[in-house]
Amino acid sequence: MSHALSLAELRKSYGTQSVLAGVSFEVPKGAIVGLLGPNGAGKSTLIRSIMGIVSPDEGTIQLDGKPWSRALVRGIGYLPEERGLYKDMRVGDQAVYFSRLKGMGKSDAVRELRLWFEKLEVEGWWDKKVSDISKGMAQKIQFICTVVHKPGLLILDEPLSGFDPINARLIIQQVRALAAEGTSILLSTHDMPSVERLCDHVVLLNQGQVVLSGGADDLRESGWTGEQDVVFKGNDIAFTNALGALAHLDSIGPDTAEGTRRAHLRLRDTTPPGQLLQALGGAVEVLEFVKVRPTMESLFIQAVNASETPAT
Amino acid sequence: MRGSLIGTVIEREWRTRVTKRSFLIGTLLMPFLSVGLVVATVLLSEATDTSNLVLVEDAPGLITRLDRATDQYVPRCPSCFPEREKHAYRFVREAPADSVWQAEGYTVLVEFDESILQNHAGYMVYEKSPGVNAKRHVERDLSRAIEHARVLESTALDWGAYQELKVDIQLVDREVTEAGDRTDGGGEEIRGIIGFLFSAVLFLVLAVYGGLILRSVVEEKSNRVVEVLIAAVQPEALLLGKVIGMGAVALTQIVAWSLLSTLAFTAFQWAFDSGAFTAGMVADGGVPVDLMTTMAENEFTAILLDINWGLMVLSTVAFFVGGYLLYGSLYAAIGGLVQSEQEGQGMVFPVIMPLMFSYVIGSGAMSNPEMGILPWLSWFPLTSPVIMLVRVAVGVAWWEVALSWLLLMLTARGVLALAGRAYRQGVLHDGKSTGWGLLRQWLQGHGK
Repeated sequence: MSHALSLAELRKSYGTQSVLAGVSFEVPKGAIVGLLGPNGAGKSTLIRSIMGIVSPDEGTIQLDGKPWSRALVRGIGYLPEERGLYKDMRVGDQAVYFSRLKGMGKSDAVRELRLWFEKLEVEGWWDKKVSDISKGMAQKIQFICTVVHKPGLLILDEPLSGFDPINARLIIQQVRALAAEGTSILLSTHDMPSVERLCDHVVLLNQGQVVLSGGADDLRESGWTGEQDVVFKGNDIAFTNALGALAHLDSIGPDTAEGTRRAHLRLRDTTPPGQLLQALGGAVEVLEFVKVRPTMESLFIQAVNASETPAT
Repeated sequence: MRGSLIGTVIEREWRTRVTKRSFLIGTLLMPFLSVGLVVATVLLSEATDTSNLVLVEDAPGLITRLDRATDQYVPRCPSCFPEREKHAYRFVREAPADSVWQAEGYTVLVEFDESILQNHAGYMVYEKSPGVNAKRHVERDLSRAIEHARVLESTALDWGAYQELKVDIQLVDREVTEAGDRTDGGGEEIRGIIGFLFSAVLFLVLAVYGGLILRSVVEEKSNRVVEVLIAAVQPEALLLGKVIGMGAVALTQIVAWSLLSTLAFTAFQWAFDSGAFTAGMVADGGVPVDLMTTMAENEFTAILLDINWGLMVLSTVAFFVGGYLLYGSLYAAIGGLVQSEQEGQGMVFPVIMPLMFSYVIGSGAMSNPEMGILPWLSWFPLTSPVIMLVRVAVGVAWWEVALSWLLLMLTARGVLALAGRAYRQGVLHDGKSTGWGLLRQWLQGHGK
């Protein structure tokens, strides 16, 4: 199966400083891949390499299964982190200009842009100058300019920065809708909640290397450390006794009005969750038995720390 | 596809600038200001040419005698005070009070005493200035009359003999052509001035539009639009589109200036010739006053009639295109290499030096249009856009112009390609060095 984007052993150095040290990963077609990493991890250089703004020293880039070419790059929808618009141009003219640079005809561009302006609720701003609109409004225009030519691959660098929660949700909805229509998306961001909400796959970059990658659910699953939330009704001593050597009780909450309690447990390495549920079921009435998977943020911190800890 | 992308960039550069209010104002204002200057000069010369009746008070009796027949004082040398339109003299020995001679219709009173023979000075009294021409007439006429008086008093010569002895040499220009023929020559200085005016305009346009390119490139870098642009367009194509687009703006302005000036001048000529400004005025011989005749009589406007406008405009446009591509691409490359307009100004100086040098030489060519260095500079591509215009105005073989232009265009093509690479290095560079450092790095081959 060909991927929308495939990177193999991408390397880039500035002088003696290695910024990309053999980066390889894929963006499957129709998937949203989160590109994560601390500041200076090499995310921007990686994206700029894909876009042909920076020439990598080594490695290969394939777009839609074909070797990298500028013609293929023109098909990508690219929203850079540090993005701008011409202040002295009217919003509509500017959007048409960027669309035409992406190969759209003028009338097609105008028609599609009108639809997008309506979707993002900026239809009244077509004739305004950029200098007269707010930062959030400008961000929406930039997003529209990125997606209007229906790119097969979208590269969004911090697409939600500068948006208030309402507009951020609007953008997230549109990103989801684009993915549902088959657009492949590489999303670079520091906003972990949006990664959890949006991304099917995650690539974590640190010091120019991929330190963690895979399906978002798989990663959280594999990063599970045996944490479990249990809501039960019954005697708390019986509950504790039933745990025995199967799990360690981290905390237990107070009685609720309904006479239930919530406990946070950590299973021993060898304990299957089913065995614990069976043991608890014999002692108390178990109302909820929920696996507590790690957040993307904690996975991120763990992976970064692990990659920076020198091997002994 | 590359061509259509460049076309899109050109269209944006052109459209955003020509629709600006400042561009429209500048484009509309300039022709009306320049034609307005001609109009003002012509009308002013007409308006200031008011009738003057000059009362000359010859208290010492140096230049007048009493004519018994009319009982009026008349000049001893009547030819010293020739008859002129709108300029007449009356002579007295003792002038009445100012209010009286003014009430009698005189506009100027000329006073002097015997000391005029030594210190050559007298007084001209008036309520309203009679104008420069009237003063010049009075000074010349009075000088000749005093000269006449002194000749009669201090030598044995009579006035007629003295006049015959006086020599007033005038040199008529005859130019030897390359074919060895003699033709009417002269006017090189005037043509040199005209050529310099055109080259000065070209120098200004090149410098102003070069500065605009620099600012535009720096702006695109600082507002990060360039990041989106070069994802779609190659840097070299972007630079080409930008330079051509801005050049098209300048050309639009030049063409608009030419057309509007022609239109405004034609309208003024029609109005002038139909008598709108000159009702009732006639030139010598009773012929109705027309604009061309009026302009030909004026020292400043006569120069304008001496211009071969078609050739000059064509040469200006041709050398503008070459010069603009050459300097515009250098400005754009500098814009790509620097982080701020201020930093760019520092790098612009050595680039603009040849242009400034040609401007200085061009100004020198006004007084000496045949100076030896001019042909060389008119061939050298960095100076030819400015210098060749001076030579075209003075007169130069067509093949020299064509060859110089060809050289300029070839150089511009080479510089454009080189500037494209420097621009790419500048806009795609994300290291710390900028400006001279980045240029040095690129020249040393570290940049790719």
